[in-house]
Amino acid sequence: MEQFLAQLPQQLINGLTLGSVYALIALGYSMVYGILQLLNFAHGDVYMIGAYIGFGVMTAFLPASGPLPLPALVIILLMFLAAMLGCGLLGIGIEWFAYRPLRNAPRLAPLISALGTSILIQNAVQLTLTAAYHTYRTDKLIPITAGIDLGPARLSAVRALVIVSAIVLMIVLTYLVRRTQFGRAMRAVALDREAAAMMGVNVDRIIVLTFFLGSALAGAAGVLNGLVFSRVWHTMGFNAGLKGFTAAVVGGIGNIPGAMLGGMVLGLVESFAVGFISPTFKESITFFALILFLLIRPRGLLGATAVQKV
Amino acid sequence: MASDKFGRDEWVAQIDARRAAPPGVAGQVLARWNALPLGWRWIGVLASFAAIPFLTSNDYLIRVAGTVALFATLSLGLNVVVGYAGLLDLGFVAFYGLGAYAYALLSSGKFDIHWPSWVTLVFIGVLGLAFGVLLGLPSLRLLGDYLAIVTLGFGLVFVQLAITMDRVEVPWHAGPIDVTGGSNGLINLDPLRLFGLDFGEPLTLFGYALSSVALYFYALLAALAVVLLVIYHLNQSRIGRAWRAMREDSLAAEAMGMPTKRLKLLAFACGSAIAGVSGGIFAAWQHSVFPLNFSTDLLITLYAMMVLGGLGSLPGVVIGAGILAVIPELLRSPELARVAFYSAVVLGVALFLRPRRNGLIVLAGVILLGLILRLATQTLWPDLLSPPTITVAAESVSTAFERTAQTFGIIVQKWIILPMEPTPPGNVAFLVLLPALLAWARLQPSRLKLGLLAPLLYLLAFVWETRLTAEPAVTRLLLIGTLLVVLMIFRPHGLLGTKRVELV
Amino acid sequence: MALLELVNLHKHFGGLQVVLDLSFEVNPGEIVSLIGPNGAGKTTVFNLITGLYAPDRGDIRFDGKSLLGLEPHQIAKRGIARTFQSLRLFLNMSVIENVMAAAYPRTHANLAQIIFRTPGFRKEETRIRAVAEEKLAFFGERLQGYRFDQPAYSLSYANRRRLEIARAMATEPKLLLLDEPAAGMNPNETLEITEVIGELRTRGGYTILLIEHDMKVVEGISDRVIALDYGEKIAEGTYHAVATDEHVIEAYLGRKSAMTK
Repeated sequence: MEQFLAQLPQQLINGLTLGSVYALIALGYSMVYGILQLLNFAHGDVYMIGAYIGFGVMTAFLPASGPLPLPALVIILLMFLAAMLGCGLLGIGIEWFAYRPLRNAPRLAPLISALGTSILIQNAVQLTLTAAYHTYRTDKLIPITAGIDLGPARLSAVRALVIVSAIVLMIVLTYLVRRTQFGRAMRAVALDREAAAMMGVNVDRIIVLTFFLGSALAGAAGVLNGLVFSRVWHTMGFNAGLKGFTAAVVGGIGNIPGAMLGGMVLGLVESFAVGFISPTFKESITFFALILFLLIRPRGLLGATAVQKV
Repeated sequence: MASDKFGRDEWVAQIDARRAAPPGVAGQVLARWNALPLGWRWIGVLASFAAIPFLTSNDYLIRVAGTVALFATLSLGLNVVVGYAGLLDLGFVAFYGLGAYAYALLSSGKFDIHWPSWVTLVFIGVLGLAFGVLLGLPSLRLLGDYLAIVTLGFGLVFVQLAITMDRVEVPWHAGPIDVTGGSNGLINLDPLRLFGLDFGEPLTLFGYALSSVALYFYALLAALAVVLLVIYHLNQSRIGRAWRAMREDSLAAEAMGMPTKRLKLLAFACGSAIAGVSGGIFAAWQHSVFPLNFSTDLLITLYAMMVLGGLGSLPGVVIGAGILAVIPELLRSPELARVAFYSAVVLGVALFLRPRRNGLIVLAGVILLGLILRLATQTLWPDLLSPPTITVAAESVSTAFERTAQTFGIIVQKWIILPMEPTPPGNVAFLVLLPALLAWARLQPSRLKLGLLAPLLYLLAFVWETRLTAEPAVTRLLLIGTLLVVLMIFRPHGLLGTKRVELV
Repeated sequence: MALLELVNLHKHFGGLQVVLDLSFEVNPGEIVSLIGPNGAGKTTVFNLITGLYAPDRGDIRFDGKSLLGLEPHQIAKRGIARTFQSLRLFLNMSVIENVMAAAYPRTHANLAQIIFRTPGFRKEETRIRAVAEEKLAFFGERLQGYRFDQPAYSLSYANRRRLEIARAMATEPKLLLLDEPAAGMNPNETLEITEVIGELRTRGGYTILLIEHDMKVVEGISDRVIALDYGEKIAEGTYHAVATDEHVIEAYLGRKSAMTK
């Protein structure tokens, strides 16, 4: 018990860090599912591309030796911008190629198309960038020793950056969704596409913008993940996508605050499983937690029950 | 006169009849074929398959045929769950793995349990049914999309458990037990022993020697035949009708007295049982099981087979399995793959462009473009070009076909711009090609679209020669991914499926 | 004894009370019409009876036994079948298959019989086919012959409505719930459907509860009419009594019309 309490704060920090990444991925899933009722399998691969873009930018600006050409914070900011922009555009591309022609097709078709897109992206990366791991040199941007001690736990600067960035992005997104015309339009399209169209909302544009936003967030998540966990490889999107979707479902699919909450919850559950039970079974534990959760509360933490009009 | 019947129902019926028998030689052949009773058609196909071990003693070819039979059986099982019941099950391969590992544990030296083969197989069938119901139960409460993720997770967890359960702690045993052999899997499994026959030993029949591979091929073929029959019977029964009704409109089906929950579970159970038994036979065939045999890679291949052939169509699924099981074998030899690739491109262009004349123009244009570009590069930057990397083998060690393929390869390598360092330009070309192809596909048919096809095909050939031949595994997956997307957009009902009408 | 009894039925969705303290009966052999302006809760009543929704309070009794808590397919098996206001056919299945599929609750073939094609299975399949053809024959020549194998999506609108009724009949119900069977039909077809509903009672022996807006149909066929408004019963009786009831007129046409009648 003592050991548990001693480890708890550190696991909490780890959980929040992991959860931040999951929350950002989950947001993209939830947003797209909300307006299109589509499971975007390729979303995880967009996240992977974001990690690669961030890596590319970092490598471009990091000298082999000697001082940094730009302040570290600027480099990190550039990594973010590049990844978010790149992934946003990629998301728009995916929507245009793989999903738009299937807007009115039976539900199975876009799902299979999504599966195909995911494979395409993964293997395109493998072909051009090989299956080798790439590693973020975070230590060159942020000294490893930077951080503060909170009691028995240590909040490293990198983890603090991840958590803070994620929170900032989520606040910006919430503002966008709650307070802007775009956000209103997005919510309208999610509730009833036809009615929104009849009210003068340009549904196609809203869908494109939603994909852009969701994918940009995934790109940011990729960079954050790279900064904290260093490793980048072409199939990393698959697992992360799965976790992201799990988080979205736990929070209530289609629900934006739910996705954030779900992400945090999942991150905490996984960290606790790794820290207190066993790292080898972490995937299985997370999965069983998901099943259990879905059985008890299929609509998620913040989801609403849908009433079907017959 | 057709005109005075216009608008009347009989006229519609006549048109339908005419559509069923298309004109031309191909149409006549098809009409004759379709006129045969269904049973005879299937017996004919399966019998021709069964003749393979008597036509060749090349174990490699027989093994490929066996793989086709195995994948066809698996796809049929998946088809029951996805095509009939409409449930997106992404964890299907886990049942296949379950069956394989069950066989590995019950008929091997691992724990020294050596159940007779038929007992193991029956047990696996029942196990598959049970686990299918078990996984199906929570799925009843989940919307289709949740089901996809949950089953996907289940599939991943299975592989995870297979890898990590080589150190299982149990209270009654000191020290961990190795259950699944971890990533090294389990080996030295008992061969199949059925009807007094040991499938691990060759057999002489009618003076003809059948190798062990051939015997297992027959086992797999028999399994395929049995599964086909069972599914066909299910289809033509109240259960088949109920499944189809459920897929059309599950609310209406429920209101018409069909117990949708129970029917979904049944579909799950049937699919799982088929997968499990296939897994058992596979394990015996391979003499071993490894966790990576049951990866998502296989799942995606199965889905591609099903979708290519046409969801819900039995012959379609079998054909889809055949095509997609043969492709990786083709890709193994670069020369063979090259022949197949260019044949496919030429065929595609010739078949899909109307009028046919356009196809010839495009092909001529590509060849011309290639020659011009090559000439230009040779004059301006001759150092960039590499000589052909293929050599024609001596007559004594290769067949005429292989030598032809090699010669063809040399010709292509002289036509295309083959850089000294193929990888970087190949990668760049690939990254340009992918979006260019997709964007081109979304263009409206026009002169521009036709004109752009030639440079696009050249780019495709360039990418093929520089990168894709070097990476067969990745190429195969790229092909499958593209296939899935393109099929869904242009022909969601696959090769032999029927076009479905859906009310949104 | 009444075949169907609704007893103090209540149903709300969120803040909206859709059915409020509704009670009525349908006796064997009767044709009862449920009328009321749009949004009065008529289809909701059908959904409650067939088990798609669960009532908040109250009871639904069929043949004396409560239907609460039963799944829709169990209720269908008990003998209640329905058609849908916005058709819900199995569009990609053929006409005859649509009807044969609905024969499910009256069939018994188990997995083994199906896989081994036992004589018992074959006999049952022949019977199902005969039942389906018999139900389709109810509509004359329209859904006969080559029509059997045509996909349901190729049927005209009126034929689709007929097919949906035939499909409901295939479940061999005692009570038929018809949701706006004449919707979207021209005067000829409306007349025909009115006759068909009558024949459903006389030749088919079904008890019928129908929702209709077309008063010609209601007048032509109903033994009794029940009028709903905002989920409450506002009138019940013969067509003439209900049609001249001032509450009914007010519900349809507004207060002024009621006062001037």
